[in-house]
Amino acid sequence: MLYALMGLGLSLITGILNIPNFAHGAHFAVGAYLLATVAVAIGNFWIALLVAPIGVALLGLAIEYVGIRRLYAAGHDYQLLFTFGLALILSEAIILIWGPIGYSHLPPDILRGGMDLGFTMYPKYRLFLMVAAGLLVVATWLFLEKTRYGAIMRAGIENKEMVSLLGIDIHKLFTVAFALGAYLAGIAGALTAPIRGLNPGMGVDMLGIAFVVVALGGLGNLLGAIAAGLIIGVAQALVAAYWTEASTVVIYAVMAAILLVRPQGLFGIR
Amino acid sequence: MLLETKEITKSFGALTAVNGVSLAVEAGTLHSIIGPNGAGKTTLFNLLTGTFPPTSGRIIFDQRDITGTPANRIAHLGLARSYQRTTVFPAFSLFDNVWVAAFATGPSWKGLLWKSANTYAEVAERARQALADVGLIDKSHQPAREISHGEQRQLELAIALAAAPRVLLLDEPAAGLSPDETRKMVALVRALKGRFTIVLIEHKMDIIMSVSDRISVMHFGSLIAEGTPGEIQKNPEVRRAYLGGVAA
Amino acid sequence: MKQPIVLLLAAVVLLPFVVRPAIASEIWIFAIFGLGLNLLLGYTGLLSFGQSTFFGSAAYVAGWLLKHYGINTLLALGIGIGVGAASAAVVGYLCVQRSGLYFIMLTFALNQLFYFTAYQWTSVTGGEDGMPGVPRPAMLGIDFKDPLIYYAFVSALFLITLFLMKRIVESPLGKILQAIRENEVRAEAVGYNAPRFKLLAFVIGGAFSGLAGVLYAMLFGIVPLEAISFVFSGNVVFATLIGGSGSLYGPVIGSFVFIWLSESMSTVWARWPLLLGVAFVIVVLFLRGGVVEAWHKVSLRFFK
Repeated sequence: MLYALMGLGLSLITGILNIPNFAHGAHFAVGAYLLATVAVAIGNFWIALLVAPIGVALLGLAIEYVGIRRLYAAGHDYQLLFTFGLALILSEAIILIWGPIGYSHLPPDILRGGMDLGFTMYPKYRLFLMVAAGLLVVATWLFLEKTRYGAIMRAGIENKEMVSLLGIDIHKLFTVAFALGAYLAGIAGALTAPIRGLNPGMGVDMLGIAFVVVALGGLGNLLGAIAAGLIIGVAQALVAAYWTEASTVVIYAVMAAILLVRPQGLFGIR
Repeated sequence: MLLETKEITKSFGALTAVNGVSLAVEAGTLHSIIGPNGAGKTTLFNLLTGTFPPTSGRIIFDQRDITGTPANRIAHLGLARSYQRTTVFPAFSLFDNVWVAAFATGPSWKGLLWKSANTYAEVAERARQALADVGLIDKSHQPAREISHGEQRQLELAIALAAAPRVLLLDEPAAGLSPDETRKMVALVRALKGRFTIVLIEHKMDIIMSVSDRISVMHFGSLIAEGTPGEIQKNPEVRRAYLGGVAA
Repeated sequence: MKQPIVLLLAAVVLLPFVVRPAIASEIWIFAIFGLGLNLLLGYTGLLSFGQSTFFGSAAYVAGWLLKHYGINTLLALGIGIGVGAASAAVVGYLCVQRSGLYFIMLTFALNQLFYFTAYQWTSVTGGEDGMPGVPRPAMLGIDFKDPLIYYAFVSALFLITLFLMKRIVESPLGKILQAIRENEVRAEAVGYNAPRFKLLAFVIGGAFSGLAGVLYAMLFGIVPLEAISFVFSGNVVFATLIGGSGSLYGPVIGSFVFIWLSESMSTVWARWPLLLGVAFVIVVLFLRGGVVEAWHKVSLRFFK
């Protein structure tokens, strides 16, 4: 579910802005760290959960406004270098501010412990995570499908020129898209913080998976990203049950195998 | 017949762009294809040059079935094409533009990795000839992106010539040219008539009428008429299709 | 036209007197790495963001064989080149069917695949700790343990590599790759199988990267996990871009800049990657039209 969230955000950004966003993983990490900080500072998990992703979205807004905006015409190599540089800055900044050793942040009391599902005890927080992420994905999906602005965004993925010809401010669209993507990454990070713990490298790991999700789902194919995210999440869980160390490698290997047979990913059009 | 299509059809989902077209081009002739916009002419060219395979039907070149040959093999068979929208190698000099085309179908690729590109005399000669044919030899060393639009159309043609093909497929070579440039292009095409078999797509009627040996008329993907320029001019169906666009 | 060669030879001779031989070696090794990448990036227009896959794989395999089987240097180099080329063939085959963003993301994701494999396979690679104890065996009776002698060896290999790359770039293949970059559709139309040529570029670039990888392992006596990480891939892209991807010597200059930057920063601050990131951002935002462009013009005039 988490992967679907990350994949959706990245798919949106890459589909609309057509840039390689290597900072997506960093947004994830920042979300997590912000949550931890705010939660500790205020003492309330739920408020922190609301606030932290907004912080990331604001960061995303700033990034788009200051930097990415200037680079749309620049070509992928410079865009890549920029977002890559950002990712470096952000991950090092995290170490600077929060220290190099990871730490853990416990979930709020209601969500601690396990829940008896009848056939197995399942950690409450994980359920919460699944439900929350699921709701977010659905909410985002509804926004994109049902609202007017969402429709404009989807049109932007298909055909940017057309959208700007229709009189819509394409730059604002890009900014919003990036901020939304960042928000989704940030809230994904915030949600993960209590179970996965926090470490400065978490952004990078997530980045790779987000890319796999988007590659499999088809760039800009939002439904595809969601589906691919779910598939990968389930696949990884299954593998982890039998061969824990290899779970990450397996994700990439599966991706390679799928792309070998279907270069357009599972749902891409080509 | 050097080049033939047999009931060739290309559909994109519900849209049938080319519908059962059977074309026959005799060696050494200039065969034009005309028709209103959207008639399927460029799609037909795309089929002939292997850009995509046909939905059904066959393409026969020199008695051999070449249906389904991918685009990068077509040049080696002896068919070369120029495009409606200028598509050259912008950063290359004019000479390099034609050189790469000449090398591909050149005598041998030996030394592909280690021989200096300057040492292929035959290829260089072919490249020079192609530029000379279109009248651009003086500008050989200018980058392609710096020459005028009219000259780029000439370069477009030169790239096709450099492949030393047997059949030239020219897609609106006079597109976007001034009357003066058009005259020069027409003279060029006429000069090429003897050396190559030419299939020409054009909109400008006066060009078509003055250089063609045979004309095929397409409309909504189908062939509606075929014959000599004289026959086509008198054909009522053709007039209908063009709704007064034909020079009477 | 003779100028750059003279300058380069002078640099090769003088460098070990300006910086430590180890650093000097590192510069030329990185330059070889950059030359390999630039065949893909500058000449074919393919932004391969996973070059460290080939670099690192070669380093690990050759390092392993050097350490546990005591193979000689020549064989190690050969194996490194072979592993680099082979891994590039695999990655290239998967990637050349795609273009644009897909291509970049794929090269990255495959890089991650190799990275995590190296990370998990601790029995062979040592995981996070890297693979220490890579020897530097003698070759033809020459003992390489002296850093200066090894430097001579490395720089000689660099010059050979540069020469080879120059031949390739001036060959028909060089023109064909550039044609693919300029207009892939037309390149196919005139008779070139673009994916196959891209794959060839990958293999050649991979071979160069592999060579660099082995030399790197032998230089530091260890294969660190970073050598196969995407950060390393990013570094070589940065170095190539800042030096100028449009010319043969660009990656060489970029290698100088990058190694100098990173070496000087890393001794000062443990968080130096942040400055590196800042450097990337600055270059992209402000210097793109400025220094780098100017550099391009200068280098094109001098080195063309």
